[in-house]
Amino acid sequence: MSYILRRLVSMAVTLFFITIITFGLTNILPGDVALMIMGTNASDVALEQMRQSLGLNDPLILQYGRWILGMLSGDWGVSLVFKQEIGPLLLQKITASALIVVMSMTIALSLAIPLGVWAAVYRNRWQDTASSTTALIGVSLPDFFWGIMLILLFSRGLGWLPSSGFVSPQEDFFGAIRHAFLPSLALGLGLMAHLTRMTRATMTGILNQEFIRVARAKGLGERVVIWRYALANAIGPVITVAGLQVGYLFGSIIVVESLFNYTGMGWLTYQALLNRDIPLIQATLFVIAAFVMLANLVVDLLYPIFDPRIRLT
Amino acid sequence: MTLPRQLTSTKALIGFTLVFGILLIAIFAPLVIPADYATRMDMRARLAPPSMAHWFGTDQLGRDLFYRVLLGARTSIVIATSAVLMSIVIGLPLGLVSGFFGGRLDNVLMRIVDTLLAFPALLFALTISAILGPSFANTILAIGIAFTPFLARIIRGEAMRVAQLPYVEAARSAGASNFRLIVWHVLPNIMPPVIVQCTISLAFAILAEAGLSFLGLGTQPPEASWGLMIQASRDYLDRAPWTALVPGGAVALSVLGLNMLGDALRDALDPRSK
Amino acid sequence: MIDTAVAEASQPVVAVEGLRVEFDTDDGVVVGVKDVSFRVAPGETVCVVGESGSGKSVTSLSLMRLVEFGGGRITEGRLLLTRPDDTVLDLVEADTGVMQNIRGNEIGMIFQEPMTSLNPVFTIERQLTDGLRVHRGLDAAAARKRAVELMQEVRIPEPEKRLSQYPHELSGGMRQRVMIAMAMACRPRLLIADEPTTALDVTIQAEILALIDRLKTENGMAVLFITHDMAVVAQMADRVVVMFRGDIVEQGPVEEIFAAPKEEYTRALLAAVPRLGDMRGKAAPEPLRIPGAAEVAIKPAKTLPAESGPLLEVRNLVTQFPIRGGIFQRHVANVHAVENVSFTLARGETMALVGESGCGKSTCGRSILRLIEPTSGEVKLEGRDLSELDDAALRAARRNMQMVFQDPFASLNPFMRLKAQVAEPLTNFGLARGAKADELIAELFERVELPLEFMRRFPHELSGGQRQRVAIARALAVNPKLIVADEAVSALDVSVQAQVLNLMMSLQEERGLSYLFISHDMAVVERVSHRVGVMYLGRLVELGSRAQVFENPQHDYTQKLMSAVPIADPRRRNKGDGRPFRPLPSPIHPVGYKPPPGEFVEVEPGHFVLKLDD
Repeated sequence: MSYILRRLVSMAVTLFFITIITFGLTNILPGDVALMIMGTNASDVALEQMRQSLGLNDPLILQYGRWILGMLSGDWGVSLVFKQEIGPLLLQKITASALIVVMSMTIALSLAIPLGVWAAVYRNRWQDTASSTTALIGVSLPDFFWGIMLILLFSRGLGWLPSSGFVSPQEDFFGAIRHAFLPSLALGLGLMAHLTRMTRATMTGILNQEFIRVARAKGLGERVVIWRYALANAIGPVITVAGLQVGYLFGSIIVVESLFNYTGMGWLTYQALLNRDIPLIQATLFVIAAFVMLANLVVDLLYPIFDPRIRLT
Repeated sequence: MTLPRQLTSTKALIGFTLVFGILLIAIFAPLVIPADYATRMDMRARLAPPSMAHWFGTDQLGRDLFYRVLLGARTSIVIATSAVLMSIVIGLPLGLVSGFFGGRLDNVLMRIVDTLLAFPALLFALTISAILGPSFANTILAIGIAFTPFLARIIRGEAMRVAQLPYVEAARSAGASNFRLIVWHVLPNIMPPVIVQCTISLAFAILAEAGLSFLGLGTQPPEASWGLMIQASRDYLDRAPWTALVPGGAVALSVLGLNMLGDALRDALDPRSK
Repeated sequence: MIDTAVAEASQPVVAVEGLRVEFDTDDGVVVGVKDVSFRVAPGETVCVVGESGSGKSVTSLSLMRLVEFGGGRITEGRLLLTRPDDTVLDLVEADTGVMQNIRGNEIGMIFQEPMTSLNPVFTIERQLTDGLRVHRGLDAAAARKRAVELMQEVRIPEPEKRLSQYPHELSGGMRQRVMIAMAMACRPRLLIADEPTTALDVTIQAEILALIDRLKTENGMAVLFITHDMAVVAQMADRVVVMFRGDIVEQGPVEEIFAAPKEEYTRALLAAVPRLGDMRGKAAPEPLRIPGAAEVAIKPAKTLPAESGPLLEVRNLVTQFPIRGGIFQRHVANVHAVENVSFTLARGETMALVGESGCGKSTCGRSILRLIEPTSGEVKLEGRDLSELDDAALRAARRNMQMVFQDPFASLNPFMRLKAQVAEPLTNFGLARGAKADELIAELFERVELPLEFMRRFPHELSGGQRQRVAIARALAVNPKLIVADEAVSALDVSVQAQVLNLMMSLQEERGLSYLFISHDMAVVERVSHRVGVMYLGRLVELGSRAQVFENPQHDYTQKLMSAVPIADPRRRNKGDGRPFRPLPSPIHPVGYKPPPGEFVEVEPGHFVLKLDD
């Protein structure tokens, strides 16, 4: 219990630093917020008034404090580009991205683990070469390349799945899945390749350990030895790596969502950066970083389930 | 000294050939191919499929893709290499000092690094690029800064591991100063895993540059870059898929080569993981 | 010991005939076992003994047909197993299904490393019962009951509690008992034990050996015992098989092998093993006789000069490590690694610190050199208190005290040529440069009996013993007065160990070096030391001359230690110790705990024993 508390405190401190970095970054951005809101035709006086009302002339510390307090009380500001309140906008987009992240993770893990185990068991034979080579190619192709290939194949070629747009799951569940499928696959294939390699490496290490020999010496069948004894030890490290990959996913998501015109967090962040929408940039950066931290925390908390040697003290 | 078996395996040879080949192209293509070959527009042969006249086909402006992709190699390689070099120059001393001395200094530095690591690298690079304004030089800066925390952490981990090995203790009791210990004992022994990590980072850097340029926040026209070429191909996917496949394939081959080389190097270091 | 004539007459449980095992490696085909034949009868213990690379482990793995999983192939020979229904089966011909049936059922096997031999993520119950359920078809409840019975047989305390525990919660000795229980689960007719006690402390080893012996007698089992330790062989064996580089050198009843070895290799092996009790009546340390090596004139070490005061004085040395816990990572407890240790060391003398793992001897050595900072106490080298020195002065003081580490692989920088590593102390202390340094280094290499061309080599090109010699050369480079040898020979093969020990002793005689010899091997310590300190739980419990401590041990722990050490003489076996297993008390105490000071009682002149009033 005290471990969880300590981690939460640690997380809070890091989040605090994240806000500082985010704030610092966005305030280096050249560009006049007032100008962006009011347009180039506004008079200087009007611009100055706008700046005053937005508090842009106040010392940075004050602006920072205002922003933090605003976030804590639920007011995340207004987007310059979308002219909406950022809070609800974020919520909507997060759901969209969460859908893809979950789907791609599921696809990746469910394929990677069996493939990786298979490759490790048949190490250095044709099964391993086939699996490992495919995985190697998989990690080498950029995500958007996968996306393009998938669009060409499934959308333009076969016409099975839509190649753009987003539908909210609340409105139409199956529609949402259909739209999310290709982006998830694009993300998931690269992830799967990486996790397959990880699984293979972990399993190989485990299969060399003494307790595997002891299990065989007890007369247990090979299948039990591999799929129970060995795999039980591999799951922990693989899930950990998968969890840490969430961070990487949130980076790739920007490119993939743009490619598919899938309006999730990545797409939102991209629009914000492109248009120098400072309040939105601040919000999205912060949220993404917070999510990554959350994923790390979850992974750390889950680990003792897989490995009883780790006790959360 | 004969090369370890892992470095002469098929994987290593293919990887090395790919990397070496792309390096040669990056260095010599701009010297051999006249610059206007890549920008010459043949309006009659726009979006033409691969043929004898245009080996890889043409793009929407009638530019020959073969020459464009070869010239694009230089951009991508230079950016990726410079970025990784920058990360090393910053991250190596940081990681070494942090890992070797440990204690309060290490805690503080790693806390900063961990905070930075919460930002996905690509996102970090995009943000920096947006702040500074996209350009060739700024892309290098953006990717370099974005990759530093990760590299620093890995180096710190290795330095910490080596610093606790008996031979460092032995050297210390033989009267070596901290400086000598770091430079002569810790540094040479972390180089192998660091080199492996560098090859992998190079691969990621190429992917990052492609991603950034694809999103318009990397290299800008008229520079030829693989990411830009892919971006330009977006609207013509049905009619002319080769406009995307050619630059995409180039990225894939470079990254593949680097990954294979990195794998082979890693296997040479630790054959037990093979 | 059993009547070997009777044993030979009855049908052997297993008979190995002409076994040949090959491995496919990167450097071509390597033959692990060339031509091996022997048999094991019921109720008999056969010890297969040899150094690393002898093929002893490969032989045992072949019997279980586990060698194929490691890339080996049985190319020739027969492995005849007598089954419960008295039929004989050649295991080489057996298919996978039959082998799976035999493993863990008719043949049980235990391995060396208790740390890594149990699956870390499964409970003890699961690991004990899955073999039972496969071979005997028991259901969960019946298997559970049987598991508890098995644990009681191997004398594991609180067996029900252990069922739901995980391996990391058990000590090394307990884990080994669990392994034995797993192997015994189906009452095998043959038990193969591959170095089962090599990784265990000497007192635990004695318990495990006694346990195996008892189980053998109770069940009429055949035991095939693999080891490199001749003393253990003397303790356990009815018959001995000596192996060298894949061949059997000699085999026969244990008394014959020890009293009248026929082959030169066997004789060399026996001569290189220090035998506890051999030094009785001898005044000073003595080199080991190694036949075939250069004639080492056995001369007793020079009588120690009673010079101007002791070289090293340690007084009330305390080293503690903090443990942090709780939400704020507060300092909640301390590991009392070294507790109030005091002793003196004269010039030209070897003082040994002995004890089992965790007793603090290594930490003590490091604290004296200030490689670890002691918490309190005085360490005076030639009268100067080391704890008061600042960094620069400490570095200068290190000229006089050097250390040789246990692991010859890890104590040399893999990326530095050997010459540079031996030269390093010379450069650091500004003692010699250029040609003069080269000369010195060449001399050192010669002194440690390494060819000069090794100077240009890297550590991975040398063997373990050769690396240790380089480490000694490096330590000698600055001509120190004190060398701390922290388990310096523990990782070496017996014959190599003997050579390195002889080298160390001759260096001492030549240069008047003092050694602080840290070790867990009592027989080696008896050989090389002038004075001995026994450590337990961070404290020095007994201190005296080697003769005093070994021949007249006074403290409980010392006596227990002495009685547990196997003696390399089959006529002097330790009586099987029926004493129940006792877990080691913890050296961790909460902050502010004041350990009882205790006092040293001088039972004879120079012989001190710790008396605690609890």
